[in-house]
Amino acid sequence: MTNHSASLFSIVTGSAEPIYRQLVEQVRRLVAAGQLAPGDEMPSVRDIAQALALNPMTVSKAYSLLEMEGVLARRRGLGMIVAAANVPGQPAERAELLRPALERAAREARQLELDPDTVLTLFATILKEAK
Amino acid sequence: MSSQAGSPLVRMSSVSKFFGSQRVLDHLDWQIRPGQVIGLLGRNGAGKSTLLECMLGLREPDGGKVTLFDEDVRTLSDARRGNIGYVPQASELFDWLTPTQMLDYFKAMYPRWNAAKVDGLLSRWGFNDTLRNKAINKLSGGEQQRLSIIRALAHDPALLVLDEPVSSLDPLGRRDFLRELVGDVIERGTTVVFSTHILSDLERVAFDIAFLKDGRIALQGGIDALLEGERGAGVRAAPMSLEDLYMDVMGDESRDLAHGVAP
Repeated sequence: MTNHSASLFSIVTGSAEPIYRQLVEQVRRLVAAGQLAPGDEMPSVRDIAQALALNPMTVSKAYSLLEMEGVLARRRGLGMIVAAANVPGQPAERAELLRPALERAAREARQLELDPDTVLTLFATILKEAK
Repeated sequence: MSSQAGSPLVRMSSVSKFFGSQRVLDHLDWQIRPGQVIGLLGRNGAGKSTLLECMLGLREPDGGKVTLFDEDVRTLSDARRGNIGYVPQASELFDWLTPTQMLDYFKAMYPRWNAAKVDGLLSRWGFNDTLRNKAINKLSGGEQQRLSIIRALAHDPALLVLDEPVSSLDPLGRRDFLRELVGDVIERGTTVVFSTHILSDLERVAFDIAFLKDGRIALQGGIDALLEGERGAGVRAAPMSLEDLYMDVMGDESRDLAHGVAP
């Protein structure tokens, strides 16, 4: 069981995706990938608000949504932990979490009038670079 | 954490303001609930400063009514007035005094002056002994702005009004200010109204935003809902970034023409 710090999160401004939603998506992805394990302690709302300079109400909103979805659980007096029911999903299930980001990329690719092969080759290159 | 309940802390009803023949505020209605953190957006010259000054009773409107804490702003009691923090766009901070002298002067006027907080902020925001004892008019624009913010936060106000508080600050100074705002200030449930042109700061800190256009609040709502396309009264738009939303709300006919829409 791990205590995670606020550096778990990163957000971007200027996106059409509200910040609370970015936080929700990040937790979902980390849980699906097993980087956040059941019982892990999440950083406090206050720590995240300070680290990312965010309104604490925005962070609370993200945590409440994740709690409602059963991804996180609230422990009295101890803040949020990753809920027990979460086990890393099947690859297909995890891949589904990538869909919003890829849909955005696909939209931009169409606007740039790129053909699918060029885009897929670029994505394959980026995947290798990141390793 | 703040609550959204309770009667409005700020209530502006049909407020109008003219400069000569130019109408700056046009029967403007605006209400702010206790604990709201609200960003005010508007083009240059839209009247944001005038609006904030009328709100605080620093400028007499030509029509309409303003109440703060359920009291008429024109006859606001000293106790209520001592519960307001204000950072004006241009700081007029007795600039022949040193920061230490100026803060001592204000300390004498406020019963709830938080000396420990002032000292902590001065230290964290780079006011060493040299800077604390230098005439304010010899400080840089950014230093003067930081000092103005410290003075406004010093008495733990219930209502904090900031008129472009970060316009002279560099990115690090802005981040320090935002951290202070999202930490102590918002956690205490302070009602915050601030105008800015820096949309990224607004996105981080504001929970609600209001657009001032043509002398009225043209659109107001939760920042998340607005980005997700909510426009009130059952109207929905496509999800968009805050910058696109700004263009959408503030844009004029020339932009519509560019989109091929008749003005």
